[in-house]
Amino acid sequence: MNIPEDLRYSRDHEWVRVEGSAARIGITDFAQDNLGDVVFVDLPDVGRVVEASEAFSEVESTKSVSEIFAPIGGAITQVNAALGDSAELLNSDPYGEGWICVIEVADPAQLDELLDAAGYRALIGD
Amino acid sequence: MTLRYSPLDAVHRELGARMVPFGGWDMPLNYAAGTLAEHRACRTSAVVFDVSHLGTVRVAGPNAYERLQAAFTNDLGKIEPGRCQYTHLLDDDGSVLDDIIVWWRHDDVFDVMPNASNTAGVRSALGEETDGFTIADVTTQRAILAIQGPTARDLLSAVLPAAAAVGRFRVADVEIDGTPCVVAGTGYTGEDGVEIAVPVERAADVWRMVTSVGIEPAGLGARDTLRLEAGLPLHGHELGAGITTLNAGLGWVVSWTKGPFRGREALDAQRETGVEPVLVGIRTEGKRPPRAEMPVLRGGAEVGRVSSGNYSPMLDCGVALAFVDASVATGDAVTLVGRGNELVGTVVDLPFVRSPR
Repeated sequence: MNIPEDLRYSRDHEWVRVEGSAARIGITDFAQDNLGDVVFVDLPDVGRVVEASEAFSEVESTKSVSEIFAPIGGAITQVNAALGDSAELLNSDPYGEGWICVIEVADPAQLDELLDAAGYRALIGD
Repeated sequence: MTLRYSPLDAVHRELGARMVPFGGWDMPLNYAAGTLAEHRACRTSAVVFDVSHLGTVRVAGPNAYERLQAAFTNDLGKIEPGRCQYTHLLDDDGSVLDDIIVWWRHDDVFDVMPNASNTAGVRSALGEETDGFTIADVTTQRAILAIQGPTARDLLSAVLPAAAAVGRFRVADVEIDGTPCVVAGTGYTGEDGVEIAVPVERAADVWRMVTSVGIEPAGLGARDTLRLEAGLPLHGHELGAGITTLNAGLGWVVSWTKGPFRGREALDAQRETGVEPVLVGIRTEGKRPPRAEMPVLRGGAEVGRVSSGNYSPMLDCGVALAFVDASVATGDAVTLVGRGNELVGTVVDLPFVRSPR
């Protein structure tokens, strides 16, 4: 299972890449593998303010629908419009082209509550 | 409940299949290629499914024909030995207890193939064994490989020519390297193909022969999206308690002329009073998959509920089967209501995808 060392992870299987005062967010390799073939991503609206742990998106695969939880709170400043036509990017490149959104971090202290790669690896028993 | 394992279990694990419980069996959901790729392979070339979880109840001896005629809805008088028939087993109230394929192998030998874990139901529906009349659950003695797709026969003929030659809805005894197998021209994908029942000890060998000619393995995930595109019912969704053969739009499965069978009176009564709800196909805009249990609205009023739904890989949009009021007609605009979203759809004729044959 691919778990990049430079990212932080939520217990709900999202990753966070800190980019200055913002955080780019997606789902982990483990999450996409469990979802199966993703066919639709319900993207949040830019400008929406989410709380940490709030369900803000849904990902639908051929086998199920799963909620995506905000790993940190803040305003959504970008969403990955490419997922509208190509939801399968979540499967093929979950840490790259398959990113979901960028959140302007409201409280940087919340980042400390996330897992590092070793912690996430332990969580999923990899 | 303890899961049952296919005779091909080790083969699936070696291939890295994701396994899921289904009908009491641990079966492949998908292989490395994934459900969408497996689905497309079945529509454009050929795939092989392990369907060993289907039951095989061997009914043999004098009276076998009469017992089956009295138990099931279809009329074996329309076919002959060497042919297959789709049929239903009903409850007294007309509810479909199971949908079944009968392989009429020889004059008085029938292989009755119910859904996973329903062999006991079929057995009890056929009554007591008597002198010479036998009902045997032979499910654990064989594996079944379903080879499906437009090039299934062409590819298969390179390694198993006799199996590849068994025609649509025909069944024949075929020897594979000296091992007696049973091959039928049946399936559940809307594509041409054959199903091979092979003794368990040769199952892995036959699987390898089949996959050696470029027939790719496919799992239950693709099997479900394929049958949905083909408009085929799945027991527990389009068939089951409170749903008759007529509700599911499968009146052709019922013989009104062969004489009595279980559930007949209930179907007669339903024909008198009118069949409702009825099963229809709905095509939705966009890629978001409709899901079972979504209410169906027409002009803002609820007219029914989705029984199965998913993304259609061939149409690149959502497709759903739904039970709706009898007033709903092809071309009607409907909306399917999910959690916080609405899918815009149109009632369409089934199947969603028709394969040239």
